[in-house]
Amino acid sequence: MGDGTTSEAQGQTALPPEFVEEWRNAAYNCYSSGHKFCREVCPVMQVTRDERHTPTTFHANVVAMEKGFLTLEDVAEDYVNCTQCGACELRCPNTLFTGDFYRFRTRTVDLVKAMRSLAVENGIEQPGWKEWNALTDRYRNEPVLNGQPSLQENVADWAKGLDLPIGGEAVLFCDCEAAFYRTSLPRAVARILKHVGYEFGLMREQWCCGGPAAEMGYAEQARRFAEHNVADWRAVGAKRILVLDPHDYIAFTEDYPKYFGDELDFEFVLVLELVAELVRDGTLKLTQPVDRVVTYHDACRLNKRKGIYQAPRDILNAIPGLTFKDVDHVTQWSYCSGAGAGFAIERPEVAAEIARRRMEKAAALEIDTLISACAWSERPLTEQGGKREQPIEVMDLMEIVAQSAGLEVG
Amino acid sequence: MAVATISDAVVDELRAICGHDYVFTGRSARFNRARVPAPFPVHRWDEFVPDVVVLPRTAEQVSDVVKLANRARLPVVPRAGGTGLTDGAVPLKHGILVDVKLMNEIKEIDLVDRTVTVGPGINMLKLNEELRKHGVIYPDNPASYPCSLVGGRIGTGGWSLIGGRFGHTRDLVISFEIVLPTGDIIEVGDGGGRKVRKSSTGFQLKHLFMGHQGTLGIVTEATLELVPRPEAEFSAFFTYPDYMTAWESTGALAKSGIATLAGVVLFDERKLDYLRRDDEAYIPQPPEVRAVVATAMYGNADEVRAGAKRLMRIGVETGGNYLGDEISHGDWAARHDRYATPLHGRLRSGQVVPMSWHCEDAAIPYSALPKVREEWHAIADSLIERFEMFDDWGMFAYTNGPYKPWGDYLTEIDIGIWEMRWDDESWAAWVQTKRDISAVALRHGGSITACHGASREGEVDLVPTELGGGFEVMKQIKRTLDPNNVMNPGKYLLDQAYEEGES
Repeated sequence: MGDGTTSEAQGQTALPPEFVEEWRNAAYNCYSSGHKFCREVCPVMQVTRDERHTPTTFHANVVAMEKGFLTLEDVAEDYVNCTQCGACELRCPNTLFTGDFYRFRTRTVDLVKAMRSLAVENGIEQPGWKEWNALTDRYRNEPVLNGQPSLQENVADWAKGLDLPIGGEAVLFCDCEAAFYRTSLPRAVARILKHVGYEFGLMREQWCCGGPAAEMGYAEQARRFAEHNVADWRAVGAKRILVLDPHDYIAFTEDYPKYFGDELDFEFVLVLELVAELVRDGTLKLTQPVDRVVTYHDACRLNKRKGIYQAPRDILNAIPGLTFKDVDHVTQWSYCSGAGAGFAIERPEVAAEIARRRMEKAAALEIDTLISACAWSERPLTEQGGKREQPIEVMDLMEIVAQSAGLEVG
Repeated sequence: MAVATISDAVVDELRAICGHDYVFTGRSARFNRARVPAPFPVHRWDEFVPDVVVLPRTAEQVSDVVKLANRARLPVVPRAGGTGLTDGAVPLKHGILVDVKLMNEIKEIDLVDRTVTVGPGINMLKLNEELRKHGVIYPDNPASYPCSLVGGRIGTGGWSLIGGRFGHTRDLVISFEIVLPTGDIIEVGDGGGRKVRKSSTGFQLKHLFMGHQGTLGIVTEATLELVPRPEAEFSAFFTYPDYMTAWESTGALAKSGIATLAGVVLFDERKLDYLRRDDEAYIPQPPEVRAVVATAMYGNADEVRAGAKRLMRIGVETGGNYLGDEISHGDWAARHDRYATPLHGRLRSGQVVPMSWHCEDAAIPYSALPKVREEWHAIADSLIERFEMFDDWGMFAYTNGPYKPWGDYLTEIDIGIWEMRWDDESWAAWVQTKRDISAVALRHGGSITACHGASREGEVDLVPTELGGGFEVMKQIKRTLDPNNVMNPGKYLLDQAYEEGES
């Protein structure tokens, strides 16, 4: 855990007027409610129990800074303690009861991102994030290989032997973690799409989507990476971008529109939703029984950030032989793998404990396999699943779909 | 006691007791443990900041911290959820803030003797997520159910929305372990056994150590009541043409003797005005609807079904119109979220501004409700006349008895406050308003507070009036148990106990 700040103010950085202007009302809306329903669903707070790691604090700090009681130096580290899962926003009474009328939604995730950016702009950097983003900038891909470089020349190595073209109207964007680490996921996606005759290609030069940099406060780098990817899509004539990871999907549908506005003329298709449609309309036939007892891990960025929870369940229910022990998506608001928003880079022990608790919940269901739809969740959950007395395997939804479609996995 | 400053040596000693990672001196860690949702003079935030924060994990650590505080003559302020509606968790004299949130384990679920033993940092909703697998629940159900913690419920003497059926916190907490202001650790309950619900041995110490706003110690473990998870819930909302008809109906429903009836809530005309004006979740009713009564029942399905039939008959016979299943069930199900609803109020001009919600909670005999209502609204109107930052959001009255819905009522006037506008003048006017509101409650045979506690600025001045000779006993007890006045000093006028001792 650690304290973060010292007794006396380390600096004098106040909030810039435009920041106050943007966030004052949101901060006060939270401050004035003060009821903290967000707290017990927060995956970080559930572990640390530290009041500084709550949306209440994230908002109250803005009020305290506007009133001159705290400085950016005092609060910057508070905002490290967030996986940007979005549970707090859903659980916020302000969102629940005033949202429709005033089109108001508590936007804690955006506030955390904004405050992290402000910190970086003012030279207040977290060492782990500084290094991670510097390496990402150097490799063009996130350094997901535990010290081994994730070089640009290897970004499409996962596709070896699959004979995928470059470019075309539909282009598959393969997340960094999937491209370099969990390669069985993009291979499963590629085989499924080829199997049904869905034409798609790869980018010429895929760079990181830039989402993680934006999440950690490196806004300039995030935008630079986005500009590269958009230029690459244009160059190969892409109209549709197939997205296989929820984190990328957030970047493309929430960050990119802010960068490019109406000029962003691509359709972003979540592979999971495409596959659900192919299963629904009978194009993709899941005929091979899969003899597993599974539960589904609602990926935070699908369930909590995008409201996508039914399609993965529809897919799992279509797989023959499977015993599916579901936990409803609202209960799963308080679940997380700890893998989001760079949190695990700066707070590995807390992140691991979040993942351990998630797998404990899964174990109580007496299952042998946890199915996820988020590449980033799969590594920490696999690690924790493997440590259990009765080990639990972690599969991506697309991997089990490929298996049930009779396709090779791996 | 003088305003504290903490030396490095004390911080080092706290780190030796609690572990380096569980002692915070940073400004954000301290500022974010200064306030609670009760009205807070934000312009004077820095006056209420603790000097150091500790997150202990065991009773022994808490005890050692308190003993250190006695040696160093430093204030100790306990904090659980920090969701209280009085200022129990606000460090009025700075000092060491003991945050118990990490003590949130479930230690024992005893399905035979029907108890659960927990740390004080656990939340009731989280606890019930575990208990419901066993077919039982811990039925302490305040509006803050998703966020308040067991330790705070004990420290403040909590009230439950379904207490008419299941009892309130004081009834549901069977026994607990508490670190006294000297650092000694004792067990208190109704008797000696941790799981005994009633005993005649000795003084009834359990009630002494509940609702003291952290002035008599820090709870480190509690043994709680388990009840069968109810098979059935039934809620019915009725509308009325005027407040007095609704008040009569409330009395008839509450006195019905229906055993499964958990609570009756009376909404007054100003509350309806406010909901019509500013509550986005309010489902519009015709203008002749001026007051509402809400009821809820819990129990076995056959009992609830029979009780519901009788309840519906009484509601209609006493002038109520049933609002229908959708509103009744939906509104009751949303009761926890609804209490935090108001994102805003209005200035006299009609302009919408973000406002905090302040809630009075006097205990008022049923017979006095109509008169108190008139007098309270007049006080609020006078305040609003002078200061635009306040808004009257109307009144609720809730049945207040444990295991029985008749008798006195938790009577709430909700006042919206645009807290960003606090200054010394408006704060002083607010404090005087709280005195005036409390004085009305006492004049009508009530109590200043049913469950929040009466230690806030303003109302606290009337505590000696309410308690009479009892307040002198309080001071004697405080001085005896806390000889150095380290435990949450500045609360409840108890510092007077030491001034008198010195004279």
